Amino acid sequence: MGDVRRRRGTGTTEPAAGELQVPASLGSLAAIASFVQAVAGRAGLDRHATYRLRLAVDELATNIVTHGYRGGTGRITVRGRAGAGRARIVVEDSAPAFDPVAGCLRPPADVPPERRRIGGLGIHLALTSVDEFSYVRRDGLNISTLTVKAEGTDPCPPRP
Amino acid sequence: MPLSVSLSIEGDTTVIELAGELDADTAPDFHQTIEKAAGHGTRTIEIRMAGVAYMASAGLRSLVFAQQKVADHVTIKVVGAIEPVSRTIRTAGLDRSIVLDG
Repeated sequence: MGDVRRRRGTGTTEPAAGELQVPASLGSLAAIASFVQAVAGRAGLDRHATYRLRLAVDELATNIVTHGYRGGTGRITVRGRAGAGRARIVVEDSAPAFDPVAGCLRPPADVPPERRRIGGLGIHLALTSVDEFSYVRRDGLNISTLTVKAEGTDPCPPRP
Repeated sequence: MPLSVSLSIEGDTTVIELAGELDADTAPDFHQTIEKAAGHGTRTIEIRMAGVAYMASAGLRSLVFAQQKVADHVTIKVVGAIEPVSRTIRTAGLDRSIVLDG
């Protein structure tokens, strides 16, 4: 019989001109989500498309915090662009090189869920939630670009 | 939006009610509650998720943890999850071991 409430993280930079810079910590996830939802809103994405974009960026950012910087200090920069019927988010970090596409593990159908590597599943969710994904390593930065279209069909399969 | 987690016992069912957003930052609260719920020894653990507007893979990790913590005869039910949340659960294949109840 308990009730637990948490306050979300603070210490982030307010979004200005389509860019958000936050410390690489799990406490920054709420600010990143708000930023992504604002970009999705400007692009006119519906609720489901907005959810998919938020999920993808959230999983990517979580991966940067926990595996990229390994809990150490660092920063994440998120840029957003709302185009006609599409929202594009660019996520940058200066952690060691990590290509999410190369590092993505599909959930194996023959392995029981309790024995699966859920960490790899986060990146799988990210990649299958967006309509377009690209990654480059440039000037010591991991740069991932995620795009969701307003009218896009949902590529996320119901089952692995 | 923060996550609120409440825990209660209704007959032979331990009920965990979640509301808010379940991501890597808030999931530890859910995790701790699962640990307490597993200690109750009821036959069913019902996780009410109607108030969960968002769930990342961190929530999946908590559900897997729940499976690992309880005895084989204990049923874990997820009740009332919105469509994107239940889709994430199905994507992970967890609907094969957890009862997913609309």
